[in-house]
Amino acid sequence: MPRKKLEEEEIVANLLPVLNIMFLLIPALLLAMEFASMASINVSPPKFSNTPSEPKPEEEKKEKPLNLKVFVMEDGYRVSADGQQEGAEAGKATDSKAPTIQLAKAGAPLNDWDRYDYAALEASAKKYKSLFPNETIVTLSAESKIPMQALIFTMDALAGRTCKLGKAMKGEKVPDDCYFWQPVVEGGAG
Amino acid sequence: MTPEQQAFLAKKKEKAAIRRQKGDEKTELGITSLMDIVSIIVVYLLKSYASDPVVINPTAGQKIPLGTADSPMQDGMPIFITLRGITFENKKLVGMTNEGDIEPNSVKDHLIGPLYDALAEEVDKAKTLAENTGKPWSGRAIIVGDQELKFSALVDVMYTAGRAEFSEYSFCIIRKS
Repeated sequence: MPRKKLEEEEIVANLLPVLNIMFLLIPALLLAMEFASMASINVSPPKFSNTPSEPKPEEEKKEKPLNLKVFVMEDGYRVSADGQQEGAEAGKATDSKAPTIQLAKAGAPLNDWDRYDYAALEASAKKYKSLFPNETIVTLSAESKIPMQALIFTMDALAGRTCKLGKAMKGEKVPDDCYFWQPVVEGGAG
Repeated sequence: MTPEQQAFLAKKKEKAAIRRQKGDEKTELGITSLMDIVSIIVVYLLKSYASDPVVINPTAGQKIPLGTADSPMQDGMPIFITLRGITFENKKLVGMTNEGDIEPNSVKDHLIGPLYDALAEEVDKAKTLAENTGKPWSGRAIIVGDQELKFSALVDVMYTAGRAEFSEYSFCIIRKS
């Protein structure tokens, strides 16, 4: 018997249902889209300032705490460590008249984000970190009119502006260029 | 008319006659190229899909502070503070004065009454839910502020959140590129 010749048929895939789903996915994904990448700065309330969150080794316990405090004023930063203000007059613990770090742009309005000398503050944080390598906590306070953006930039400078904690949050080691990355916000400190 | 032109016109007429004789052809819409474009858009959108546990949608006119920190957002309850007021759970609870301070009649000894009530209610709900599901309650407040928000207003919100049993705070920022 002669065998039937197989005829090749051209099969065209029906893409319309797939396309329908795709079109529905677009508005759904647009709604959940991240237009600006958000991050967070974890801040501790004052009650945790003197309580270490993790048990430290015996040798670390012997180390005297630094108690670094930064007070953001309208005319600059007042930095103090262990109750002694940096740059205060001889024999005085604090000298409220003079800020430790002067403004970078004196006379600039409060909403000028470059008015503070973040580089000098970062250098000061680096200096303290080299003396107290295990310290990560800084107590931060400000005058009532200080805008939140200035406070955030101050936190960035104290943590180190190149400090990336994203991986450390997942369990990796905290990078060496991170100085004081655990801010404690206090009202009226300083 | 030259013989070449006449030949050209004759050929044109002949072609037109053939086309007329053919009748209506069933034409199909080519959707492959459209499919390619849509696929590319879907992949792009999937890449930029927000994977954070909390999706922050700033309120109108709010300028979230910029920063260099890169810690990812953690689960928590967002409190939106703008220069117009304090919003929690899509409800504006407290207004602000023109000077950027919290309305004085809403604050007593740093405690913002309407905000405290709303937070305490939500904390109760969250705690019950955590008990039922067996998951620990984080007690984290995500403070979504404004660049020009005064420190005094920020401290009042933090104090109120602390009184409502929040023990951890996160400041939401936009990562500087």
